[in-house]
Amino acid sequence: MENENWQIVYFTLGVSILSTLLILPGGVALAWLLARPRWMGKSLVETLVALPLVIPPVATGLILLKLLGRRGVLGSFIEKTFGVEIVFTWRAVVIAIGVMSFPLLVRTSRVAFEGVNPRLEEIARTLGAGELRIFFTVTLPLAARGIIAGTILAFARALGEFGATIMVAGNIPGKTSTIALSIYQFVQLSQDSAAFKLLGVSVLMAFGAVWISEFVLRKRSSIR
Amino acid sequence: MRDRNLPEGDFNNPAVKSIIRSLAVALALATGLLASSLRAAEVYVCAAASLTDALKEIAVTYDKESGDTLIFNFAASSVLARQIEEGAPADLIVSADEAKLDALEKKGLLLPGTRKSILSNTLVVVVPADSAINIKAARDLAGPDIKKIALGEPSSVPAGIYAKAYLEKLGLWEQLAGKIVPTENVRAALAAVESGNVEAGIVYKTDAMISKKVKVAFEVPESEGPKISYPLAVIKESKAPDAAKKLAAYLDSGPAGAVFEKYGFIMKH
Amino acid sequence: MKLSLKNIHLPLGRFPLDLDVEMEGEVIAIFGPSGSGKTSALDLIAGLRKPQSAFIQIDGLVLADTRVGQSLPPQQRGIGYVPQDGALFPHLSVLANLTYGSRRANGSSIFSMDHVVDVLEISHLLKSGVRMISGGEKQRVALARALLSQPRLLLLDEPLASLDENLKSKGLDLLQRVRAEFSTPMVYVSHSPEEITAICDFMIVLESGRLVSRGHPRELFTTRNVPVLELK
Repeated sequence: MENENWQIVYFTLGVSILSTLLILPGGVALAWLLARPRWMGKSLVETLVALPLVIPPVATGLILLKLLGRRGVLGSFIEKTFGVEIVFTWRAVVIAIGVMSFPLLVRTSRVAFEGVNPRLEEIARTLGAGELRIFFTVTLPLAARGIIAGTILAFARALGEFGATIMVAGNIPGKTSTIALSIYQFVQLSQDSAAFKLLGVSVLMAFGAVWISEFVLRKRSSIR
Repeated sequence: MRDRNLPEGDFNNPAVKSIIRSLAVALALATGLLASSLRAAEVYVCAAASLTDALKEIAVTYDKESGDTLIFNFAASSVLARQIEEGAPADLIVSADEAKLDALEKKGLLLPGTRKSILSNTLVVVVPADSAINIKAARDLAGPDIKKIALGEPSSVPAGIYAKAYLEKLGLWEQLAGKIVPTENVRAALAAVESGNVEAGIVYKTDAMISKKVKVAFEVPESEGPKISYPLAVIKESKAPDAAKKLAAYLDSGPAGAVFEKYGFIMKH
Repeated sequence: MKLSLKNIHLPLGRFPLDLDVEMEGEVIAIFGPSGSGKTSALDLIAGLRKPQSAFIQIDGLVLADTRVGQSLPPQQRGIGYVPQDGALFPHLSVLANLTYGSRRANGSSIFSMDHVVDVLEISHLLKSGVRMISGGEKQRVALARALLSQPRLLLLDEPLASLDENLKSKGLDLLQRVRAEFSTPMVYVSHSPEEITAICDFMIVLESGRLVSRGHPRELFTTRNVPVLELK
């Protein structure tokens, strides 16, 4: 496979890893919040988080385009304040794939948090631990399995994102070209063999991600 | 067979019965919807994105006069050609460049004797309607004010191929390559300029004419620009070849020509 | 120890917990059939549940007083809780479980690790993971963990319930030893008259969230004032 195609693979890996790292703290925190019983606005937040999963990815891409475009509310603010453009750059790719994979991270992590026996947290309180200490020493370690699974799921989703990405970042060779966008492009150009090569890499990466997640989960359960 | 001899099985369960009933209704509804949408299909036309508005207007008159119904699939000619190669059920194709039809002809997918070039167009450089940037010639695109230029994907979309050919002829392509934002089709390039997300774009004059949100910075004269040609052809596998031929003849005629010219296309004769 | 549970109203599932009682003793029993609100009473004392109204006081220290909107958070009540299943942290070793509450004492350690581990006979378990020890061992570790947080009061919820007969008497002996060595007052929830008469010096009886008897266990059980439960 030629050099530029490897560039596409590295770029895709790079933006997927970056976006997953970026959504991790917020996603886990939100999952923890959603695992707690009723609070004001909870169902609204639940619906918003679920949206990218339910509406067509290009629709999410359209919303992002309107927000982050140079005339959009966020886009114009960021351009004015930081002099940085978002749409049609790699930043838009990171944001698009982050938004699309966010709900998967939150859902899986939320289930993990809901699986933590609340009695354990209560006992920790009686032993004098403050809420922050309880989160890091009891809740998080017990939910870690599910959170890791959610993270890997989100990463795999990020690797394959297409609809939102093409809307908000386009397929600019060398700048925003991901594996998924490139496969689409190659097919359009009737360069099927290049498309299949990238497809093969894509499948290998997906296998790799799943295998690693199984390995990690197996390891963790033998510690317990 | 008497009911009381039937064993108590799953299908006799009232809850299961009502589920099966609802599924049957849903299936009937879906089939009905599908059938009614299929019954209306007459001539399936794959046409270049730049022809969207002109062809839709022509269809209104044509549907009434001929009794046929036109179903349009507007996309970049590269996408259309690919779909036809893969067996899309098209009757007629109107492409924005000859190369796409060459490829289809080579594969034996066109009905011989039906290929004909009917229109031409010119390229323009457009900027957002409220832009203050001054562009009078192509070389101004190299200036620092222009950070991004939208065009149709220059390796496949005809509008992009034409634009790249033009810029290459002027020796500007290498310089500008880093600013190019390739789009899916020419209308997407137009939209990018309209939204202000790019400073300039190269589209057909006919696209600029239908948009109020862009203004033409300069027009590439027909003599200097690439030879733009819109050929059409009937697809060999077409299920309605006569209707397709009738439409092809109409599109090359006076009334259709008047509509095309209204939108800024150049008639071939 | 003087323990006051006055003006308590805590809605539970089918009935509320309604208590208004002052108790005095070193090991106070809460007796009653299952589902009568015994565990909820312990949760209240520990500060793990928010009652509609309550006044809770131990030996002059007010833990909660809803009339003035005061309620000490569980972290600060100095109460060691040994729940029914022990609730050991499954992802930590036995040793890590034991030391989890030691910070709360901030320095003061009347009960040393060695002493507690010795009395509860768990020194051979320290390096083990929680999953690998038996039910009875788990209870002992849970009790040790509670003791090592230097509590002013211990709450035990049916600590011997999961043990079979011969282990139960060993368990009782151990509890006696704990009482002797550490003299921490306890509240002991159980539905076993034998256990209660063996250790406790005061008892309240709950039924459907209400107090139906109070007094010395031996008197209450022998005069048949108390519904003696069938073997569980």
